[in-house]
Amino acid sequence: MNCEVCQLKELELEHFEIREVLRCILHTIVFHRALGLVRPKDVDLELFDVTYVQCGEAELEKKIDEKIEQFVCWVEKHPNKKSQICLSFYEVKNKQASWFSNKIERLYWEQWYINLNVAQHKVHSSKYHHPKVVDPGGAAAYSGVVYLRLCFLCVEGALEDRNARSAALEASLREVLFQIIKFVNEKKDHVPPIPNLEGAVSFPYEITIPSQVLKRVQCIGKAEFIRFCIWDGHDQENAPDRASNNAKLIVKVCRAVYGVKGILVHMFKLEI
Amino acid sequence: MASSHGNAHSDAAKMEQIITEFFAKSLHIILESRAPYVSSRNFYGDQAALSPCSSSSSSSSVRPRDKWFNLALRECPAALENIDIWRQSNIECIVIDVILVQRPLDWDPVTASLSPRRVLPRSSSLKERCPFGWNTDQEELGVGGRSEKIVERWVVQYESRKTRDSSSCSRRSSSVSLHNSYKKSTLLLRSLYSTLRLLPAYKVFRELNSSGQIRDFTLAHRVSSFVEPFTRKEEAEMMKFGFTPVDTSSGRLCLSVMYCPVVSGVSSEPSTPMSPQVITDYVGSPLADPWRRFPSLPVAGLPFHGSPSSLPSSRQQRSLSFDHYRASPPSYLPSPTYSESLSSVYNASLRRFPPASLPPHPTEMSLIQKKNTNFDDYYHSRSPSTDNSGPLPCKPLLRSGSAPVSIPAEVANFPGYSNRHNVPPSPPLRGSRGTAKIGRCTNAMQTGATAEKLFSLGKDESRKYSGVKISSNSSPSSRSYQDDFDDTDFTCPFDVDDDDITDPGSRAESLDHGLLAETFEGGGFFPIRKSHDAAVGALVQMLKKAPPLRQDFSTSQHLSQGVTNPETWNNNIGRPSEILEASKQVSMMSSGIIATRKTTADALEEFQGYKEMKNLLLMRDSLSWLVEYSLVFLSDT
Repeated sequence: MNCEVCQLKELELEHFEIREVLRCILHTIVFHRALGLVRPKDVDLELFDVTYVQCGEAELEKKIDEKIEQFVCWVEKHPNKKSQICLSFYEVKNKQASWFSNKIERLYWEQWYINLNVAQHKVHSSKYHHPKVVDPGGAAAYSGVVYLRLCFLCVEGALEDRNARSAALEASLREVLFQIIKFVNEKKDHVPPIPNLEGAVSFPYEITIPSQVLKRVQCIGKAEFIRFCIWDGHDQENAPDRASNNAKLIVKVCRAVYGVKGILVHMFKLEI
Repeated sequence: MASSHGNAHSDAAKMEQIITEFFAKSLHIILESRAPYVSSRNFYGDQAALSPCSSSSSSSSVRPRDKWFNLALRECPAALENIDIWRQSNIECIVIDVILVQRPLDWDPVTASLSPRRVLPRSSSLKERCPFGWNTDQEELGVGGRSEKIVERWVVQYESRKTRDSSSCSRRSSSVSLHNSYKKSTLLLRSLYSTLRLLPAYKVFRELNSSGQIRDFTLAHRVSSFVEPFTRKEEAEMMKFGFTPVDTSSGRLCLSVMYCPVVSGVSSEPSTPMSPQVITDYVGSPLADPWRRFPSLPVAGLPFHGSPSSLPSSRQQRSLSFDHYRASPPSYLPSPTYSESLSSVYNASLRRFPPASLPPHPTEMSLIQKKNTNFDDYYHSRSPSTDNSGPLPCKPLLRSGSAPVSIPAEVANFPGYSNRHNVPPSPPLRGSRGTAKIGRCTNAMQTGATAEKLFSLGKDESRKYSGVKISSNSSPSSRSYQDDFDDTDFTCPFDVDDDDITDPGSRAESLDHGLLAETFEGGGFFPIRKSHDAAVGALVQMLKKAPPLRQDFSTSQHLSQGVTNPETWNNNIGRPSEILEASKQVSMMSSGIIATRKTTADALEEFQGYKEMKNLLLMRDSLSWLVEYSLVFLSDT
C-alpha cells in the first residue's frame, strides 16, 4: 500500500495563533478522511475570517486539543524553531506473532506534515524602529518614561504591522486549506475501503508532535527501546513514513550508545 | 439516469443510484450553504420560521438520505425542492448559479452618494427600522430593478462513456469499481463541503444568516440543466476550480465551480478581526446597549482603552446584531412569546429573525454560541419585566410623550436613540442643513417637544456617564446633536442608530480623547483579544498618565493606581511633533539638569514599579516585548 505524503505550506505565526491554526488544519484534514457517518459542524475561527468543518465528534476534538496543548508546551520550551506536526492515517493489520514483534501492525497510508514557524514578537521591522535613546549617565532612569512614550508611538506602527501580518497569515491559511482540498481530490486511490465502523472517524490516526521523538528516546528502556526500533522499522512494509524515520533516528542513537555490535549483543543476546 | 448503458445488471443499477444520489447530495450540499435561511423563512412562511428544529444536524436520528455518502446534512427546503424537480426531469447535468442580488441604491439619493462602505449597513438599517415604509414582498421579489451578479457557478455533470467502452469496462471490474466509485464520490463530496466554506460567497451567506441585520443584498440561486454562457468580461473575472472527476463503470462524475474571487457586498466587512476599524456598536458597548452597560458601571476607574487597531470587528458586529434583535423584542412584547397580534408588516419584519422564544436554528445557534458566548447568559438573565421597565432613558419619554399612534412601539427601542445618549458630540458644525433635517425629523414624529427632551436628556446622560471625558471636550450642546443628525443624512426620524450616526472618522478622532475607553469592557466574549487589549490599554494609560519629566517622581510610582496629575493630560503622545518634544526632553535630561535632583534609590524604586507592570503585562502575553525593552533599557542604567 502506498503511503502518500503531503507537506503543507509553511505557516509563519505567532504563539497565540497556534491553537486556532492547528485546530483548523487538523480538523479539516480529519474531516476529509472521516468517511463514516458525519454530521458536519461549521466552526468560525476567532482570529481569522475563516470557516472550517469539524466532524462533530467530541472524542476527536478532545484528542486534537490535547495534542495541540502538547505542541504549545513544546514550542514554549523550544522557541525560535521551525516545527512540524504530523497527522498520519494507518490501517491496523493483525499479523502472526513472531518472537520479537507485536501482533498488531500499523500500515501507514497517508501522512500530512503541518509546517509551522512560530515567530517571536518582533519589535523591529523595516519601518518601525524602537527609539534609541543616547544616554550618557544616571539620567537614564528618568528617561524611561520618555522612552516608554516613544515606544508607544512604535506600538501603533507595530499594530499596523501586526494587522498586515495577520492578514497575510489568513491568506496563507486559506492556501493551506485549499492545498488540503486539492490533495484530497487528486489522491484517492490509496485511501483504504471504508470500514463498517460506528462513528465518523473511519480510520485510525495519530498526531505526532516534535517532542514525541525525543520522549521516546528518553523514556524507553534500553531493551524495549531497541525492540521498538526494530519493530517500528522492520514492520513498516513499503511505508517510507515517519515511523521508519523515527526508527532510523533511534537506531542512530543506539549506534552511538552501544555501537552496532552492542545492539546485536543486547538485542539477540548473541555473543560476538 | 439517461446514462444507463442498457445493461440490467444489478451493479449497473446500483451505480446509477449512486450517480443519482451524488447529484442530489451535491445539490443539497451547495444550496445548504448558499441559500440563506432568512429568505427561506420568508418564502416558506411561518412554518419554516417557527418550527423549532428544522435541522438534522443536532438530532441523533439517521435518515436514509443522510446515509448516502455518510454525510448528514441540515434540512434545506430549497435543495429538496430542486432535487425533486431534477429527479423528475432525469438529466445528466445540473448547473447551480449562486447569484448575489443587490437592491438598487438610487431609491435614496443621499444614501447613494455616500461611500459604498457605509451604504450597505445604512440602507439596510433604514429598511429594518422603517418596516412600515417598506413592502417586504416587493423587497424580496426585487421589484424595482435590482442588480444581480452570478458569483458562483457549480456544474455537476455525468459524462457517460460510449456504450461499447463502458460494457467492456464494467464487466471487468464492476464490483470493484462500484465500491471504489462510491468511496471516491464520498471523498469528493467531503471536499465539496469544505470548499464551499472557503469560497468568498460563503462570507455573504454567513453574513446573511448570522447577522440579525437585514442587508440590502441577498443570495439567490438558480438551478438549471444547461450552462448559460458568461460574457467574456464575466468569465475573465471568474476563477475556476475543477474537482478531480470520479470514474465509474460507465462514465465519470464531474464537478467544477467558477467563482468570483471578490464578492462585492462582503467588502463592507473588514477582512480580518485585527483591522483597525473602530466598531462602536459591538456587544457591551454603551453605544450599543446602554441598559447593560450603565447600571453596573462604576463611572470612575474605567479601563482605559486606547488601541483602535485591535478592536474587535465583524464578528462582534454580528453578535451585536443578535443582541439587538434578541434583546429588543421583549421591550415591546411583554411576554417573549411570538405574538400574532402584531401588525402583519411588523410580523414580516420580525419573521426575518428567529423570535426570541424559539431556539435558533442549530447551525445558527452554534454560530451564535461560538461568536458570542455570553449572549445567552445575557439574554436569559434579563426578564421581560426588566425589559419593560428597563433603565433605557428615552423610552419613557417616547411613550409618555406625544408620539403618534401610527408609530410602532418599536421606535422606542431603536438602539440609535438610546445610543445617542452616550455618543460624544464629536462631529463638527455643518451649516443649517442639520436644522432642516431636524425639522423634518420632528415633523415626522409630530412631537418636537419629545425630540427636544430626547436631546436634552441625551446630553445629560452623556454628561452623567462620560464623566472625565466630557471635561476633556467642549461641553456638548443640543446643537451638536443636531449636527450628529446632519452627519447621518438620515431621512427618517427613526433611522438613528449607531451605524448611521457614527462616522468611523469621527470615532477615531474621539479616540484621542479617550472616549472609547469604556467600550472595551464589552469584549468579554473575546477573551484572547481582551487580554491583549487590556495590556495595551494599561500601557497606554500608563504612558498617558506619566508625569512630566520635571515633576516629582513620587507620582509616577503610583501609575497603576490611577493617580493622575491633571497636568499630565497635556502630555498627549500620538502626533509626530511630540516625538521632537520628547526628544528635547531626553536631551535635557542627558545634560543633567534634572538628574541632579534624583538619586539611585529613586531610580530603583521606579524600576520596581516598572517591573510590576512588566509582570502584569507578561501574564497577558501581549506586547510584553515593549516592556521588556524598556526594562532592558532601564536596567542598563
